[in-house]
Amino acid sequence: MRVIFKIWRQESAASKGELRSYEIDGLTEDMSFLEALDHLNEQLVLKGEEVIAYEYDCREGICGQCGVFINGRAHGPHDNMTTCQLHMRSFKDGDTIVVEPWRATSFPIIKDLVVDRSAFDRIIEQGAFISAKTGTAPEANAIPIPKTIADAAMDAAACIGCGACVATCKNSSAALFTAAKINHLNKLPQGKAEQHQRTKEMTWQMNEEGFGSCTFTGACEVECPEGISITNIAEMNARYLKSKVFG
Amino acid sequence: MQLDSKIPEGNLEDKWRNYQVKSQLINPANKKKLNIIVVGSGLAGAGAASTLAELGYDVQCFCYQDSARRAHSVAAQGGINAAKNYQHDGDSVWRMFYDTLKGGDFRSREANTYRLAELSAPLIDHYVQQGVPFAREYGGVLVNRSFGGVQVQRTFYARGQTGQQLLMAAYSQLYKMIRAKKVKMFPRSEMMDLVVINGKAKGIIVRDLVTGELKRYAADAVVLATGGYSRVFRLSTLAIGCNGSAIWKAHKRGAYFAAPSFTQIHPTALPQSSEAQSKLTLMSESLRNDGRIWVPKQQDDNREANDIPEDERDYYLERRYPSFGNLAPRDIASRAAKERIDAGYGIGRLKNAVYLDFKHAIERFGLETIKDRYGNLFNMYKKITGIDAYTTPMLISPAAHFSMGGLWVDYELMTTIPGLYAIGECNFSDHGANRLGANSLLQASVDGYFILPNTINNYLAGALKEEHPNTNHPEFAKVENEVKQHLDKLLNINGTKTVDHFHRELGKIMWKECAMSRNKIGLEDAVNHIENLKEEFWNQVKITGTGNGFNTELEKAYRLADFIELGVLMCIDALQREESCGAHFREEYQTEDGEAVRVDKEYAYVSAWDYDNGDFKLHKEKLKFENVTPTVRSYK
Amino acid sequence: MALNPLLFRKTLVAATGLFLCIFLVVHLSANCILLLPEDIARKLYNSYSFTLRESPLIKVVAYLLYLSIIVHVVYALLVTIRNRKAKPNKYMVNHDNENSSWASKNMGVLGSLILIFIIIHLANFWARIKLGLGEQVNMDIDGYLDVYSVTYALFQNIWFVLFYTLMSIPLAFHLFHGLKSGFKTLGFYHKKGLRILAKVSLIYALIMGVGFGIIPLVVYFK
Repeated sequence: MRVIFKIWRQESAASKGELRSYEIDGLTEDMSFLEALDHLNEQLVLKGEEVIAYEYDCREGICGQCGVFINGRAHGPHDNMTTCQLHMRSFKDGDTIVVEPWRATSFPIIKDLVVDRSAFDRIIEQGAFISAKTGTAPEANAIPIPKTIADAAMDAAACIGCGACVATCKNSSAALFTAAKINHLNKLPQGKAEQHQRTKEMTWQMNEEGFGSCTFTGACEVECPEGISITNIAEMNARYLKSKVFG
Repeated sequence: MQLDSKIPEGNLEDKWRNYQVKSQLINPANKKKLNIIVVGSGLAGAGAASTLAELGYDVQCFCYQDSARRAHSVAAQGGINAAKNYQHDGDSVWRMFYDTLKGGDFRSREANTYRLAELSAPLIDHYVQQGVPFAREYGGVLVNRSFGGVQVQRTFYARGQTGQQLLMAAYSQLYKMIRAKKVKMFPRSEMMDLVVINGKAKGIIVRDLVTGELKRYAADAVVLATGGYSRVFRLSTLAIGCNGSAIWKAHKRGAYFAAPSFTQIHPTALPQSSEAQSKLTLMSESLRNDGRIWVPKQQDDNREANDIPEDERDYYLERRYPSFGNLAPRDIASRAAKERIDAGYGIGRLKNAVYLDFKHAIERFGLETIKDRYGNLFNMYKKITGIDAYTTPMLISPAAHFSMGGLWVDYELMTTIPGLYAIGECNFSDHGANRLGANSLLQASVDGYFILPNTINNYLAGALKEEHPNTNHPEFAKVENEVKQHLDKLLNINGTKTVDHFHRELGKIMWKECAMSRNKIGLEDAVNHIENLKEEFWNQVKITGTGNGFNTELEKAYRLADFIELGVLMCIDALQREESCGAHFREEYQTEDGEAVRVDKEYAYVSAWDYDNGDFKLHKEKLKFENVTPTVRSYK
Repeated sequence: MALNPLLFRKTLVAATGLFLCIFLVVHLSANCILLLPEDIARKLYNSYSFTLRESPLIKVVAYLLYLSIIVHVVYALLVTIRNRKAKPNKYMVNHDNENSSWASKNMGVLGSLILIFIIIHLANFWARIKLGLGEQVNMDIDGYLDVYSVTYALFQNIWFVLFYTLMSIPLAFHLFHGLKSGFKTLGFYHKKGLRILAKVSLIYALIMGVGFGIIPLVVYFK
């Protein structure tokens, strides 16, 4: 299988980037998209060129480190999938595949396809935890949590922090990411004590980081590898108003 | 050097309490004067960093990923064990201890393994408090399921993402302490070497993966929580970035490496489909709760799975191990699969897989129940293979997964270098020659949250009286310079072959000779092959780009350089152990029907290797079994 | 802690938007009078518009309405500016039609068109009737201002008919996304409720679009 990659190359955050073409042969349909890029990089090394920088780690769709814009879609042409789960069988022989980094003010480019998503960590830092020290826990079954609530919390908690929501959102809104975390913890009895504080401070940090507002285009829930529902954002809005009134 | 495991006095049940009672305390005002480096941010690393910070220590935490949340603990799917006995099925700390010790084929310390089981119950309390959304019954109590090698239900889980949910909890606690300014986090920072001053670990040299800059960090103690080294096989279930460099560097600075050849091959991963493959995806062991493993009874059967009638299927695990069936421990299940594949019964395009079939489970429990239990695993399978496993059986195959071996540590989790600790998968402590499913998350968490924060005081109480370590010490300059020369050397080879080429070659050798079954001739060959490969690597590798900046090829190269050396030691370790135990199966030591033959009289010890200028010297820590009698491990 | 601009601004846009949605229902209901036979329509329409001008309660509502429009526009503009700043570099290739609707991504454009419409609409009616600008409006036989005639006269001009009718299209799209998204912005997150809301929004947008779009045509061909 032969394809033409058009890949965004950019030396550093400060420099100007451009799309560069690479024609590559010898791919198979069984290869994952990242393996195809690996293959391309090996060719580049042999030619003495500097390799394309892109990110990955677990390559099984859970660590959230991979993530590029492929042919106009976050994580490629399929809904609810990570870049590492995309395989070359989704493309045809001779296809041109345009690969760009996540684009958002809050995700500055480090090199080529690698961006800095530490803004997410700083949102987490503002309250995505339960303030309890190691060693202070009561017996696990002491507080029953009905399955429906545990399941709903799990649905929200499934976020892998890949940033596709921000990447695909025309406003670079981090609302889905922030909402998922807030809702996960605020739903559980353990998280109730700090719920208003958490909601206010995490959403405030989302603003500080320069993300945009959610306008409910719905693109995020389509691209989210974990299929986290956009109703989480509505729920966060409710929690925000509640925190302003009761917090 | 005499290995002192520092096992406390008393009955097995009392040892940990006795230890805690007698260990030293440090006044809170003094704790903040003490600085601790934690390398790694997985369950062990993040757990230790946040707990040490809560205790008042000044902590610096490093990880190579772009965020602490990516550490590979995230990928564990199935669950975490705890002796809660919520299912009222006869579980207890003792039974869990025994299962773990037996699962490890009696090659771990009684005291360590008992402590692991003992601390499992409070760990579940801890994670529930931190907001982990474990699976629950409608009434609100926690649910359990079974895992391999065990006949009770003691595994807690959060859908198929238990590791991710536990890691999110640990990561959020870490960020809680970062917010409190008690932890400083350094993502995209890789430890390049350990700095040992006057025989004690006093700091590390770190490479900033974005700028390429080498930086020095000094501390009163260094904690390694850097995970496993199964990427030595290249094709494994591990993350691509997982590496053994931190522990290998520590080993070369004097930390003994224990049982390097004890590496686990997981029976249920997705089969390799091409040469270019970079990793093998794990399908959780929990699938074996309801899935049945089989191959056709006829060799080279090319029919579709659904076209093979029931009486022409060989449910070989159920046949060979009737009492544990599909839930036989991993080493046994993997070897049984290898036996069938090697005998020509393998299926799939490359004839390298076996079936994992849910037909009966779906008939029995209904599609909805199976979807609820494993939905996301089935989705993952579909994403990767394009096949719907609700209607056709999954294709699975054994893959390198976990390393039981690691830096030798005593009961306090300290290595043979004073002040250097190893926690989680990177140490050798609790699992013996084979790890039971759902014990990995457990060990990493317990080490990080509960054990290390209790044991490190004993050392640090002494460190208080010493001079505070300083990066201006000449030893820091010396080590930094060595790192720089090492990197320059790699960059200047400018050969003709890529790093991945060498990694593939190393992987092939290791997988062939030092994986599921091993023999003397093969291992000796492997040592020679790897030595040659090393020679070739240092003459022929080609790395483009420079050391001053983001350079993934360089990262891969220096990690591989260490893997090559580690590979040699793994083979040497496998050679010296002339018995079969757990994951270490020597073909010369097996019964007529292919079961392992353990030789307790000579090999009931932990091998601990001392690095001596390229040579390895063996030390033996005798394993004493005072509370249990090692038996032949039978799952029949 | 100060109000969070990301959430607060959107809340104002949503709240004012939903208020305007209610207003549109009243507006369209009244406009339906124009569909009746001429003699009944003139009488009813003129007396209705008299009530609108003179009732003190309606006056309060009218000021709320002006305020809503201004707040809706100003804050929507602030939101848009901020959102553009958050994504200054666009993708070279973007297949966003595969993950989101066109209307949801173009609320600003749709809203601007509607704003232009409102200005012209106000010039056509409000300026003449309320401010007395332009040609004098006559009284009808009951002594009310003959607003019906003003309307009737305007919709004899094919260009105005086309303009009013065509403008109901962006209005419908704007309302379709605005109504359901407004509820979500205000924190309505009941899953089943949201599914119903999506259908209600569609029906609402269709009624408004068709309703406002068809009246000028009916008047023109009357």
